[in-house]
Amino acid sequence: MTGGGLRVDELEVVRDGFRLGPVSVAVEPGTATALIGPSGAGKTTLLRAVAGFLPIRRGTISFDGHRIESTPPERRQFGWVPPGLGLFERRSVRQNVGYPLWIRGDDDWRVRTEPWLERFGLAAVADRRPYRLSSGERQRVAMARALAAGPKLLLWDEPLGALDVESVAALSAVLREVLEQERLPLLLVTHDPRTAASLAREWVILDRGLCRGSAPPGSWIDRARDRFTARFVGHRNVFGREELEAARDSRWGPVLLERAGDGGVLVPSHAIDWSLTAGSPHATVAAIRPQGDQWDIEIRDGRLSFTVGPVAGSDAPPIGASVRFDIRLDRVRGLEA
Amino acid sequence: MRLGYGLGGVLSASLLLLFVLPIAALFWTAGSAGIFAALANQGFVVSIEFTLLASAIAVAIGLLLGVPLGYFLARFEFRGRSLIESIVLLPVMIPHLVVGLGLLLVFLPGTPLGEAASAVGLPVFDHPAGVVLVMLYVGTSYVVLASQNAFRSLDRGAVEAARSLGATPAEAFWSVSLPHAASGVLTGGLLMWARGVSEVGGFLILAAAVYPGPGWGGPVTSPASVYIYNLYGTGGLAGATAASALLVLVALAIFLAVRALAGAAPRFGPLGGGG
Repeated sequence: MTGGGLRVDELEVVRDGFRLGPVSVAVEPGTATALIGPSGAGKTTLLRAVAGFLPIRRGTISFDGHRIESTPPERRQFGWVPPGLGLFERRSVRQNVGYPLWIRGDDDWRVRTEPWLERFGLAAVADRRPYRLSSGERQRVAMARALAAGPKLLLWDEPLGALDVESVAALSAVLREVLEQERLPLLLVTHDPRTAASLAREWVILDRGLCRGSAPPGSWIDRARDRFTARFVGHRNVFGREELEAARDSRWGPVLLERAGDGGVLVPSHAIDWSLTAGSPHATVAAIRPQGDQWDIEIRDGRLSFTVGPVAGSDAPPIGASVRFDIRLDRVRGLEA
Repeated sequence: MRLGYGLGGVLSASLLLLFVLPIAALFWTAGSAGIFAALANQGFVVSIEFTLLASAIAVAIGLLLGVPLGYFLARFEFRGRSLIESIVLLPVMIPHLVVGLGLLLVFLPGTPLGEAASAVGLPVFDHPAGVVLVMLYVGTSYVVLASQNAFRSLDRGAVEAARSLGATPAEAFWSVSLPHAASGVLTGGLLMWARGVSEVGGFLILAAAVYPGPGWGGPVTSPASVYIYNLYGTGGLAGATAASALLVLVALAIFLAVRALAGAAPRFGPLGGGG
């Protein structure tokens, strides 16, 4: 970690009976860190504290080596995009994007706003009110407005939420380009693994106000110790205790229940030994699902469904087919709650 | 389903008819000749002018006092908030004759507030200040409630975004919160104004006959509603009906003019004008 960028150390925030922390996060210039966690984990609370909207109980927040806990939000120069985007619905797109220039008394705010409107493809809708825009256009207005302020850091709650796959790809490309060009650090909150994976170099996982760790996205595959993280990072065969208890009459339910932690059990892909040829032990294909240009296969064992594959389309078995299916129990992991 | 819609339609139409019929009856009975006659009644015209001025002053003070309270009630959670909300509703709940009596007791000569009001040249009893005070008391609740609702509908994120983009708390209030709440605040102001103009009970106790001073076409006048009440008591139905019709016309004209102006006016601040 260099001296630049954002550094949050041992931060604690207590608000309305909820306690966040201690949490430590660092974001270097030109990189993005994603805050990930289930609802109520404290992700937005952390972002609002960094933005200056919540008092902190303990810990420090510094930027480029300077402590900023007592700096008011308007002087932190952080581009805070709140949940819901916080657009000014009574003002046009141009007025939204030009707001940071106007509020500083820049008489040429209209002229200086134009390049931002052009860059984010908003020129054609500049005179519309935000409520008349599509979700993607609203996201672009929020992005352009935050960047027009010339921020030192972007704080973004669900930057690409509620967008279709194509819009996520297009907007995340623009955002990545801006981050690299401007050497901007970005701290974002997301519920979407696609967004987290496409933008962030580091994932910080929060749960019930506590930090479960900070690591590059790929390493979370092996580090997942709880049900939320396991599902978020892409593990497909994650079962809660309640699911396993309801599947006591299946072949694998009782066996997995024995190995389950309070949060259930994770059966990683490399723990499943299966093949399309019939054999023993066997299981039945319940469904096939497209996965890119291949197919995932859902295998049913009583009330439990396992996902395996993908396989090429020509290899996809018919529903109801019998396949060989075994689990290497030494690779199964119990999960924390 | 169709029967339900039909029944709902009949009930709604009945209610609207109930609203419109008395006003229609006023105009039907007064006729244009009666309204012109009321216009020629110099005393009543002075009374309307006085009422409009007093209500404008009351609304200005009401907005000044009521909007901040509405904002605080909308934006902040604190102990005792529901008590404050109940106090705000008090003037709406109690009979306005009682309001007049209460204000009289508080502002009677000899009481601390009565003496203080006299000392600054605004004795309340039978004085224009009393009319404004009654209007303020019976109407400001509407400003507070309407402002509270308007500010409550504002996305907290918009205010935080404004702060983060460089606005101080005051700048964020003027440039984001208030424009958002403007139409709600305006509605509250109009309701307060209408409530003040239609008040009778409080005036009868505190300021039925006021001495507005020179330049008002007579030594004594009354709020328009009290003037009509007196016309009814002394001259019978005909004079009161014509005066009432004239008052309704003036009130409607002002109401529509304010709504039209508010709709046509640019939003707050230089950002609000053109694009």
